[in-house]
Amino acid sequence: MTDMQAPAAPKLSRIDAINWNRLQDDKDLEVWNRLTSNFWLPEKVPLSNDIQSWKTLTAEEQQLTIRVFTGLTLLDTIQSSVGAPSLMPDARTPHEEAVYANITFMEAVHARSYSSIFSTLCATQDVDDAFRWSEENPTLQAKSTLILDRYYSDDPLMRKVASVFLESFLFYSGFFLPMYWSSHAKLTNTADLIRLIIRDEAVHGYYIGYKFQLAYEEATPERQAEVKDYAYGLLMELYDNEVKYTESLYDGVGLTEDVKKFLHYNANKALMNLGFEALFPDTITDVDPTIMAALAPNADENHDFFSGSGSSYVIGRAEATEDDDWAF
Amino acid sequence: MATTSVAPAPSRQASQTLDYHALNAMLNLYGADGRLQLDKDREAARQYFLQHVNQNTVFFHSLEEKLDYLVEEGYYEAEMLAQYDAAFIKSLFEQAYAWKFRFSSFLGAFKYYTSYTLKTFDGKRYLERFEDRVCMVALTLARGDEALAQALVEEIINGRFQPATPTFLNCGKRQRGELVSCFLMRIEDNMESIGRSINSALQLSKRGGGVAFLLSNIREQGAPIKRIENQSSGIIPIMKLLEDAFSYANQLGARQGAGAVYLNAHHPDILHFMDTKRENADEKIRIKTLSMGVSIPDITFELAKNNEEMYLFSPYDVEQVYGVPFGDISVTEKYHEMVADKRIHKSRINARAFFQTLAELQFESGYPYVLFEDSANRDNPIAGRINMSNLCSEILQVNTPSRYDEDLGYEHVGEDISCNLGSMNIAKVMDSGAIGSSVETAVRGLTAVSEMSNLSSVPSVANGNARSRAIGLGQMNLHGFLAREHIYYGSEEGLDFTNLYFYTVAYHALRASNRLAIEKGDTFKGFADSRYADGSFFDKYTDDVWAPRTDKVKGLFERSGIALPSQDDWRELKASVMAHGLYNRNLQAIPPTGSISYINHATSSIHPVAAKIEIRKEGKLGRAYYPAPYLNDENMTYFQDAYEIGAEKIIDTYAEATQHVDQGLSLTLFFPDTATTRDINRTQIYAWRKGIKTLYYIRLRQAALAGTEVEGCVSCTL
Repeated sequence: MTDMQAPAAPKLSRIDAINWNRLQDDKDLEVWNRLTSNFWLPEKVPLSNDIQSWKTLTAEEQQLTIRVFTGLTLLDTIQSSVGAPSLMPDARTPHEEAVYANITFMEAVHARSYSSIFSTLCATQDVDDAFRWSEENPTLQAKSTLILDRYYSDDPLMRKVASVFLESFLFYSGFFLPMYWSSHAKLTNTADLIRLIIRDEAVHGYYIGYKFQLAYEEATPERQAEVKDYAYGLLMELYDNEVKYTESLYDGVGLTEDVKKFLHYNANKALMNLGFEALFPDTITDVDPTIMAALAPNADENHDFFSGSGSSYVIGRAEATEDDDWAF
Repeated sequence: MATTSVAPAPSRQASQTLDYHALNAMLNLYGADGRLQLDKDREAARQYFLQHVNQNTVFFHSLEEKLDYLVEEGYYEAEMLAQYDAAFIKSLFEQAYAWKFRFSSFLGAFKYYTSYTLKTFDGKRYLERFEDRVCMVALTLARGDEALAQALVEEIINGRFQPATPTFLNCGKRQRGELVSCFLMRIEDNMESIGRSINSALQLSKRGGGVAFLLSNIREQGAPIKRIENQSSGIIPIMKLLEDAFSYANQLGARQGAGAVYLNAHHPDILHFMDTKRENADEKIRIKTLSMGVSIPDITFELAKNNEEMYLFSPYDVEQVYGVPFGDISVTEKYHEMVADKRIHKSRINARAFFQTLAELQFESGYPYVLFEDSANRDNPIAGRINMSNLCSEILQVNTPSRYDEDLGYEHVGEDISCNLGSMNIAKVMDSGAIGSSVETAVRGLTAVSEMSNLSSVPSVANGNARSRAIGLGQMNLHGFLAREHIYYGSEEGLDFTNLYFYTVAYHALRASNRLAIEKGDTFKGFADSRYADGSFFDKYTDDVWAPRTDKVKGLFERSGIALPSQDDWRELKASVMAHGLYNRNLQAIPPTGSISYINHATSSIHPVAAKIEIRKEGKLGRAYYPAPYLNDENMTYFQDAYEIGAEKIIDTYAEATQHVDQGLSLTLFFPDTATTRDINRTQIYAWRKGIKTLYYIRLRQAALAGTEVEGCVSCTL
């Protein structure tokens, strides 16, 4: 793919001490602040409160849930160990590099979280089976290969495209299920944890897409056409594969058509993050309202503290009080 | 009752009818015309009955058949029904059904059928409608008094009075927990008391509501045991034990066991205590589900004002020196004396840094609650000391320690605290105008709960309850009422109304308790030492005139036909109270009202709505959407949410109510995530200065980063 080598964005040729008081791009600080204040660890969520609810799922539903989460684990692992680090060499600013470092770490936290769910709710044997399933499942492996090929390529723009597709599109066939359970009063603490992940992924996809757009705008018209062509091509390949993956998972519980609409919706969203036009018409993106309404990345659930920890708390900004504050 | 709930997931129908969850979720999505789809929620409530409730309700031909069946099968308490004759019971049910009650929101109906109504033992089918539950509650609380039973049905079915969850859930059922909402217990600085506390946590969680424990008396980490230094493990391991005890016990699966712990700010373990809620706390010390509160005396504010260090005192030494547990000492009063006393081990931290850490933790977890200890005690007409609050920070009562034998028997039974709650719907009360009789019926209902409670598993609570007959009459739907009447929450008119409404409730509550004392010829224990007995409590009402400051509020009371108590009314009441006493030691407490405000169709408590369309998340409900009561296109502007309204107006509103409430008021504060710890601290200082007694959760709202919102989603457009 060397023929696709772009008039690259200015790369960082040497390492200077990062100065957060000299920003080249304000977006870097905005996103950095958001990501750091959103820091969390899975231990915060009382997953064990879901044990009773887990037992009300049928064996088939349990297996589906475990498989969905193993699939998500794989994607998070890819993103943490290859995807986000592969974006660093192309960073336009040292601050962008720092943001990728944060993304890298949080993706590792996400991958870790699914194991917390497993160890709390499931039997080891079932989890081992699911991991074996994930290693052998052709569509899951195909998805991984499609993305990894881009990550290992020499084309920095395509790396970002692949990354946005992963963050904004591929995750969501998995996210559908916990949102669905939660709207039917099942596994609500697990859903809290997934909402924390969605809260992060929404920002990741947006930010990488934004950086993509900066580089894209600098490219020649020919190069732009080439990249765009390539992006839609990749999306269609991923989409075809994702449909098969979805069918293999959700056919048994009869939710496939609902998930597909959700895929269309998120595929459009991923394209929008790249600054491209939507692909799927409104008529096939009418996602079930329960899922749609649950998707908002705002942290504004008025949760009941006695049954969960919620997904709205963040690390606050500490600021010392002054004498004026104590004037009484 | 079985622990499994009725399977809520409906099978997707082939037809085009949306399922009720989907219809409810459409509340959070704008319609094609860009408006809120409020009608979709009503449709969701309707579909919930059509698709689910009606199909899963056991059918009986007549009331007789139904009651016979439920008694024979062991669902209903036969002894309770035997207090009445059959004809009366039938007429009572007819009275309830004649009202033609309908749930006003999907969440109200969903919550009721998921959590309250009687189900078959396998949890699969419903045995009661809302009217049945109301009648069973009224019959239980009236204890054979037909007129009271009728009055209770009238108040509850009309929505003017709603008993708290444990009462409403359990009354009349054969297999049930206790009717009491809330317990508060001391722990003393010895192993017997600690052991007994774990047992009490299990026993009370099994039977009833939340339990709070006082940790302030426990010696700190590293304190001596039997004079050998560095022996004690401090309070954290006790918190761990309690947390596990609570998660083990729940009320037949109906209600998750929940607990809280309170610690004085000047306890040496205070920083460790708060660190248990840190995002990066080690698993060994992390506290996930136990709630916590910090009790802050006035002196801490003084020290912070002067930017001084604050001393922390070893409870072990304090008890040695003063002969009473640390929790029974006023730190403000004894502070300088204790600082100067060489026998008391002490450490110190910067007072402002303490407040900052407090706020940091509240950012990360919403905890801890805050009890302004001296404010609570200043306002307390009862002799004794308030050193803790409860799981919802509205109960403020005095307590005394117990002493135990080695076998955990009682050498001396102290007084611990229980409280029965129920809340009135302000809008409905204002609509009816009969505020005096509504309050009196509620007070009688709540008193019945206190008298009927069998709390023998924890003798100190049983003792405290028997002596005090404390109740907590609450209020809800303040914001709903104000908005309906086109008054902004926290405005001059809003404050004026809040003041006078609570003023009127206080009068009628005291009068009802006084009437009970006269009827029964008895008062609560300790009445003689109270400020009620010497009449000084009434000074502010007999010396000052309480009247509307605004025409709007004057008009509201006139329209309702509610006469505000005059100075003469108060003088008369004062004379009667001084002569005959009060039956209940405590009367009012304003709880946060989560669940019951949904089934009652009210805004929670007296705080503003969290959102016009609230996104509610609970373990048993999942994620559901709740429209603010009375919300429509025309009054929308008055439903500013709590984040828009801001902390100051909320505190101002609570301050108005606080002056007429003998116990506490759950006060949640709402901040955008752009706030800093300093903003939280400033708000706490403001609340303390305004005489607020407790602060409940800090809730945060983080707006989606621009560019990541979901299009057409109501909660994204703030």
